[in-house]
Amino acid sequence: MAQKNSTPWVDYVIFGLTVFLVFCLIFESFIDLPSLVAWLGRWHPLILHFPIVLLLMAAVIGLLNQIVPKLLLTIATLSALVTAITGFFLGTESVPKGDLIFWHQWMGAGVAFLAVVWYWLSTNHLQQTYLVKGIQVVLILLVGLTGHYGGMITHGEDFLALPRSKKLEKIPEDPLIYEHIVYRVLDNNCIGCHNPNKKKGELLMTNINELLQGGESGPALVLGDPGNSELIRRLHLPMEDEEHMPPDGKKPLTEDEIQILERWIALGASDTLKLSHLDNSEPLAGMVKKMMDSGTENSWAKLPKVADSTLQNLASDYVTIKRIASNSQALSISVFLPPEYDPKNITDLKRIANNIVELDLSGIPLGEKEMELVALCKNLEWLEVDRTPITDMEFAKIIGLENLRVLKAYETGISDESVAVLKDFKGLKSLYVWETQISDQGLSELREALPSLHLDYGIDPELKTEFIEKDTIVDSIQ
Amino acid sequence: MCDHHDKLRSNNRDLQSIEKQWDRREFFKKTSLGIGAMALGSLLQSEKLWSAVNPVAGPIDSLNSFAKNKLGLPHHLPKAKRIVYLFQSGGPSQLDLFDYKPKLKDMFGQDLPDSIRAGQRLTGMSADQTAFPIAASTLNFKQYGESRAWVSDAMPYLSEVVDDLCFIKGMHTDAINHDPAITFFQTGSQQPGRPSIGSWISYGLGSDNDNLPTFISLVSKNGSGQPLYSRLWGNGFLPTEHQGVQFRSGKDPVLYLGDPENYDGNDRRQMLDYLKKLNGMAYDAFGDPEINARIAQYEMAYRMQTSVPEVTDTSDEPDYIFDMYGPDSRNPGTYAANCLMARKLLEKDVKFVQLYHQGWDQHGNCPGGVKYQSKNTDQGTAALIKDLKQRGMLEDTLVVWGGEFGRTVYSQGQLTETNYGRDHHPKAFTMFMAGAGVKPGFTYGETDDFGYNIIKDPVHTHDFQATLLHLFGIDHERLTFKHQGRRYRLTDVHGDVVKDILV
Repeated sequence: MAQKNSTPWVDYVIFGLTVFLVFCLIFESFIDLPSLVAWLGRWHPLILHFPIVLLLMAAVIGLLNQIVPKLLLTIATLSALVTAITGFFLGTESVPKGDLIFWHQWMGAGVAFLAVVWYWLSTNHLQQTYLVKGIQVVLILLVGLTGHYGGMITHGEDFLALPRSKKLEKIPEDPLIYEHIVYRVLDNNCIGCHNPNKKKGELLMTNINELLQGGESGPALVLGDPGNSELIRRLHLPMEDEEHMPPDGKKPLTEDEIQILERWIALGASDTLKLSHLDNSEPLAGMVKKMMDSGTENSWAKLPKVADSTLQNLASDYVTIKRIASNSQALSISVFLPPEYDPKNITDLKRIANNIVELDLSGIPLGEKEMELVALCKNLEWLEVDRTPITDMEFAKIIGLENLRVLKAYETGISDESVAVLKDFKGLKSLYVWETQISDQGLSELREALPSLHLDYGIDPELKTEFIEKDTIVDSIQ
Repeated sequence: MCDHHDKLRSNNRDLQSIEKQWDRREFFKKTSLGIGAMALGSLLQSEKLWSAVNPVAGPIDSLNSFAKNKLGLPHHLPKAKRIVYLFQSGGPSQLDLFDYKPKLKDMFGQDLPDSIRAGQRLTGMSADQTAFPIAASTLNFKQYGESRAWVSDAMPYLSEVVDDLCFIKGMHTDAINHDPAITFFQTGSQQPGRPSIGSWISYGLGSDNDNLPTFISLVSKNGSGQPLYSRLWGNGFLPTEHQGVQFRSGKDPVLYLGDPENYDGNDRRQMLDYLKKLNGMAYDAFGDPEINARIAQYEMAYRMQTSVPEVTDTSDEPDYIFDMYGPDSRNPGTYAANCLMARKLLEKDVKFVQLYHQGWDQHGNCPGGVKYQSKNTDQGTAALIKDLKQRGMLEDTLVVWGGEFGRTVYSQGQLTETNYGRDHHPKAFTMFMAGAGVKPGFTYGETDDFGYNIIKDPVHTHDFQATLLHLFGIDHERLTFKHQGRRYRLTDVHGDVVKDILV
């Protein structure tokens, strides 16, 4: 049995900390911590390992009907309290508190309080009661859960999720609406249950014929009439309705996903329809493009991480570095001409070359060194080297930037020699090359090689004279 | 760690004693219960002691683009990086420019049916009229481009670029008179005092070029009419650094960018450093954030002097560019010259360029007035769009053209075969956008045969503002600023993004 407590001050400390923790939790919204105290919270990730180990150890010893050493329980309880309090401090740094932090906080507090109750019971010689056993079991569970939630906060929610075998394929340039878009939506949301293995409600959704054939509630689709299609009707039902799909507990479809299905059905649920067949004003086109855009965001997710401090070091009054969206690793960089230009301004960007997606070097006296840097930016999608003194020799450096979508090279010295380099940018969508040495023949060669390219060679001379004629028209209106 | 930075702390003895009283009140507020509360209360008061770690945002910091990520912006992938907003002040007549209503010709002079007006309030200028005779436009309309958009012959240049434009024919607004309406358009509220769109964007996204202001406004000198106020590009309750900087409409848009004769500019840095120290002392004494804004503006001016004095200089533009913008473009401060200036500023990554052109208020002599206004603006607008296009800038630059409301279908004052006036009309008017993220060659929304009411796809001013922010990667419901106890946003509690016009 536990011996009589010989150090009463330990009890007082535990009691004091408990009161403090209760106070913190109750008056959370009124508390405004001094920075030094808030800093103590930063120790939470270190200290938390102690109560996990010690409490689990103590609880297991107790459950095995052994006597739990008093000292072990004391230290475990103390460390649990300190961890909970520092955790609370750390939590105040993130406002508003998300669900994860909320649950972590209250379960963590629960662990601490349970430990205190156990400690109190054991000092009162109640070690071997069923109550204490119960506490020990609950503690083990709670410690596990709290730790897991804490882990999800620091490492991300899907840290422990099993690796997904299904990887999303990139949506092609001109996707088939059914195969690449609609099927993806169905696959993400429906086919998990409506496949040959499960066949919920006798409905299969793996191809269009199966959708038309339908299940227990009749056909899922009515061609051209989304309003009467069972599939759409169920998506629109209120969440609490029994017939709402996907069922309770599954993630509902987004607004856009529902609209994609609706418009696709309205247009006749064809499996040969392509994006390029759609009229510009057709809402489906917009939604599909949006989905494709989020696809490119996904491809940026693979970019290496780059710290704010790195960016801060490289940025200056003349080099603006921005993340393309907050928390994205993709960077957009603009360089402006400083009073005293040094190529180092640009070549220093080497450290983050892989992250650069947009690079604006307009009007900079670029040379070979700078273009070598550009060539290193393998993920570059947008490049502006207009109004620079580059010639074919420098331009040749950047051959093979396969992700390039937009290239501005007007008012430069490049000529027909560079057409070979340009032809190689297979993904190029827009090219601006007026006021260069590229001849008409070079341009037509380029058009042949890249038929879908939007080629801008400026305002043609005929139009220029027309402007001047127009002046007289306006005068006559007056 | 919530709102320390709202608290001002001063070195001045008198102010300190007031602060102490204030602290005491805070103390009791925060420590309302119990001995444990008292214990923590004393901790709370130690804030001053440890304030070294406190983030007191300096002027440079608050403009820093990395700090912006703390606002979580942009919320999503932006389509637009910069914008030029061509504000046509006065209320251009949609019925004489874009909203073609052929049926009106047969109804010439007839009274506007009551069922159409439906008791809508009118301005004091035409409410007393005994009749509301329908005035069809005397201008000729034609369809242009592949998109077959209707444009009247008042705008021959614009008709060449309609395939790049996205017309919104169902615009409507709340206000019926100029000042509230224009304030509403630029700040989201008819009452003065809210930040303008440009200030919100500057606050939310920061600068792309630290050597130039983020938000610049240009008022053309060859328009006159209803006055414009600097609050239209004002920062409201946002930090003053986000105010629009107005360029002068003369030969020197920014004064003193170059050094005066016999001065080499070498000790300017030193002078500014001393000035900064003095201002810093003043800030310590009074804690007025405007002083920080002033320091930031001095630094900005210095960077403009050292790095970009040529930005306002259009003399190196080739002749054909001037020809494209028209003869006015050689006359600094005119609308056309401002369009050219806007292009140069956008090229330097200024985020928000706002042009204003006054004089679209045709209460009388509407056909002549519209033609005159168009003559001054049409070529510049069209040239700007062409010029941005050939530079590949329409890919990430948004162009907006529009006024604060439209004009009535009935004639204000006497209607003759060739002449009529038009009163203010907030219920339906036309705007157009072009470039980044909006559908080119597209017309959205429709009005009835009178051009009086919207019958399809209305777009409210707040919807327009929400869409504009959306294009910049901002969720208009999430960009807020707490002021006087509540969180404000540009669209207040309204606004829906008009997804149908987005690419």
